[in-house]
Amino acid sequence: MNSDYFSYTASLFDRSRVEEKSEALKGIRVLDLSHMIFGPKAADVLAEHGAEVVKVEVPYQGDYWRSATYWGKYWKHSNPMWHFINHSKYFVGIDVKYPKGKELILKLAEQSDIVIENFASGTVEAWGIGYTQTRAINPKIIYASLSTYGQTGPFRFFPGWDLLAQGTSGVISITGYPDTEYFFKVPDFFGDFYPGFFAAMLIMMALNHREKTGEGQYLDVCQAEILMRSLFHFTYSSVTGQELGRTGNHDPTTSPSGIFKTSDGGFVALSVGTDEQFKAICVEMSREDLADDGRYAKALNRLDPTHADELNDIVAQWVATMTLESARRLRENCRFPFSVVEDDVTISKDEWRRERGSVVEFDDTMYGKLVMAGSAAMMSETPGRIKWLTRPLGYHNRYIFKTRLGLSEEEIRELEKERVVGYWDYRVGQRPPVYYKIEEDKIFNYGDKGDVQ
Amino acid sequence: MSSKEKIYSRYMQNRNAAKRISEWSSVLSEIMSPEGKPEALSDTMVLDLSYANFTGMIASSILAEAGAEVIKVEPPEGDPARLMTPYGKTIEGTGIPYIMECRNKYNITLDIYKYDDREKLCALVKKADILIETFEPGMMDGLGIGYRQLKEINPGLIYVAITPYGQYTKDAEKRSSLPWSDLTSQAESGMAALIGALPDDPEPFNWPTRAGFHAATYTSAVSAVCSTLIALFFKRRNGTGQMIDVATADSYSSCVGFPPTIGYIWKKPRPRYGTLDYGLCPYGFFKCKDGYVAIACFRDQDFRAALRILGLWKIEEEWKTLLDRITDDIERAKTLNREIEKVVASMTFDEIFQKFQEFSIKAARSKWRGGGLPVTTKMLHPMEVMEVEHWKARNAFFKADDKYYGIFQVPVTGKMSKTPLRIKRIAARIGEDTTYIFEKYGIS
Repeated sequence: MNSDYFSYTASLFDRSRVEEKSEALKGIRVLDLSHMIFGPKAADVLAEHGAEVVKVEVPYQGDYWRSATYWGKYWKHSNPMWHFINHSKYFVGIDVKYPKGKELILKLAEQSDIVIENFASGTVEAWGIGYTQTRAINPKIIYASLSTYGQTGPFRFFPGWDLLAQGTSGVISITGYPDTEYFFKVPDFFGDFYPGFFAAMLIMMALNHREKTGEGQYLDVCQAEILMRSLFHFTYSSVTGQELGRTGNHDPTTSPSGIFKTSDGGFVALSVGTDEQFKAICVEMSREDLADDGRYAKALNRLDPTHADELNDIVAQWVATMTLESARRLRENCRFPFSVVEDDVTISKDEWRRERGSVVEFDDTMYGKLVMAGSAAMMSETPGRIKWLTRPLGYHNRYIFKTRLGLSEEEIRELEKERVVGYWDYRVGQRPPVYYKIEEDKIFNYGDKGDVQ
Repeated sequence: MSSKEKIYSRYMQNRNAAKRISEWSSVLSEIMSPEGKPEALSDTMVLDLSYANFTGMIASSILAEAGAEVIKVEPPEGDPARLMTPYGKTIEGTGIPYIMECRNKYNITLDIYKYDDREKLCALVKKADILIETFEPGMMDGLGIGYRQLKEINPGLIYVAITPYGQYTKDAEKRSSLPWSDLTSQAESGMAALIGALPDDPEPFNWPTRAGFHAATYTSAVSAVCSTLIALFFKRRNGTGQMIDVATADSYSSCVGFPPTIGYIWKKPRPRYGTLDYGLCPYGFFKCKDGYVAIACFRDQDFRAALRILGLWKIEEEWKTLLDRITDDIERAKTLNREIEKVVASMTFDEIFQKFQEFSIKAARSKWRGGGLPVTTKMLHPMEVMEVEHWKARNAFFKADDKYYGIFQVPVTGKMSKTPLRIKRIAARIGEDTTYIFEKYGIS
């Protein structure tokens, strides 16, 4: 019944036509003053959709995330986990601590639609590049300040990271097993990425408002609050007077639900929400009797903790009879939520994701091939795309200073001498890969010898 | 700025900066007051047909907080999501997660399997900017109300479809009957594989573990809204709508980006790492006398600061640089964590917090730039979070006093100077606004 529909959608989302399609944010200029993950992620979402994002870093120091990496492993003299947070951006090195540096940043802000920063609350104001200084020269600016605790309130000056936001919002206390000391943080700096994504969403609200009214505005984006916004635990507690607590692998809103082990040591997840889904799993387990049992037939009865435990035991025994491979097959034509637990490698190689474009192999002129996450949501008319991976610190100095600020080669050299603008030092993550001939790079040397690209 | 406020940043120490911060504080109190402000999406109409799927409900809830007119379209017997609630706890027959995501919506009933009701839906679609649906791929199309048909009656329509595997590709077609859940979305997108105790810990604690909240669902919802707003912006400039396809099996891997790149570069999956961290060390919560406290060190100077504070300077030599501390040798990482554990266990949270605070403030004032900024906080449970003065001051919880559902609190964020997000009403009763909406749009 579906094949006609799927051939229609195949043409609608045809990956080979992405480059021909429009970019929704073309012409929108973003000044990215942020560092690490939280702010850069927000700017990255905008870059993916065609905004011109200029990322400002401190010369000879750079964004600290450049030289971080997992387990100290680098890739082509870069942090592999830095590329997908900062792709398709322009990299300039300007030192805000010099008055001339501040001036350059404000000039870029004057030409921008959006500014994003995630320093400790108040820092950009102290530097003279905050919202008050920016709106004075550009009243239509959308200025987003991202921080762990927000710009107001008694904790506003507290420094914070992903871990602290996860701890202070309640996220960690509810992840893990009840009646044990097993609690876990959500990995991969989820407390930065998710709020960063949320920030991009708030910025898009502001951009839509500006398109309608011409008004810019200030956004106080609070990392911990965004995590809190995503928990129903507060509402549950305010109604019941009790903590919901940790529930291990059981999702207390569905029953049966959990992560179960297959006969060959693999893991599957399943989570039954509706009565219809419950009937389907009963058929699959050849336990139709359960669907007629008064304890389990209706959702609210199944959710009773005792009944949920009973069902989870039955399911665990059933899963223990299947192999991971048979679980993968069951995923097709299945009518209850069921999946295998995917990991880094299965995700990276997954044919479905490759075909869909949610995992892409990108071929970069400086770094070569890298597999990265594609867009989180696919758009038929204005698909997101990766244009280039990251670049060394200060790589786009000439390009941006000449095309955006109208500086001459002499003026740039003078600023370099004064160390107002600058580049990378010896450290891994800042500098270009050793095999790369940076002296021949036309963008890096933009307009240097008259060979304008 | 109140004179009691502690400053941790060296950039805010000089007099000029102090003056700027104090001016900034008064600017903030002036521009951020939420009263009488317009709404960003006041000109936007949204139809939400999500069914047994919280991703769609949350997406439309966020759009409604930004001022869109959101009409939740439910079948007469109600959306099964109403009953997907912790331990079956309901208020007046409706579950907690459902009530929490009914912000500012209108609720109408339509049976889309009936011709007449589909006609009514189409009449609403003509006025709509956005339609959200979560049915199995092709189901709406088969009923003649998919994107393919609706774009003919409303070329500006932004049609958002949310399913586990999306609307195109061979595998999505094969798996099209698979329904959504948060737990399976966490598992499919690589999140569960990374949460859990260390490999040599006992079962089942070392198994893949779920994040204790609907993490995949909220991530998918934010990705849906973000793309929708990008499409809405495009529509304002070009007049054309489009289709947006959200696959919840992508949520975690697409949001954080780590799994595809690490799988490609390292060729093997990361083991579950307990309370350790792959990228920073120490970076976790440690048990103190009266709870759990965060010790999070990123830069080497932050680590040195933490060691001085905790009286562990003697071990500095062995763990000097970040590269000494982050290692795929789990035993080595555990060794450093155990050193921290021992000391932290003998202290109270207040002791640790005070020491960290004093050190940070002193380091910020010091001309010596290697001072480091050790940071800490206490791990809080949701009920403790609700009592924190800071969140009260920021109105992070909205107290609903509903004549039908009673008094309860819901978290709210989105502080914007011109168009702050807000909660105006909670509408959760089936079809309570059918008459109003039908009259408003001339549907009989």
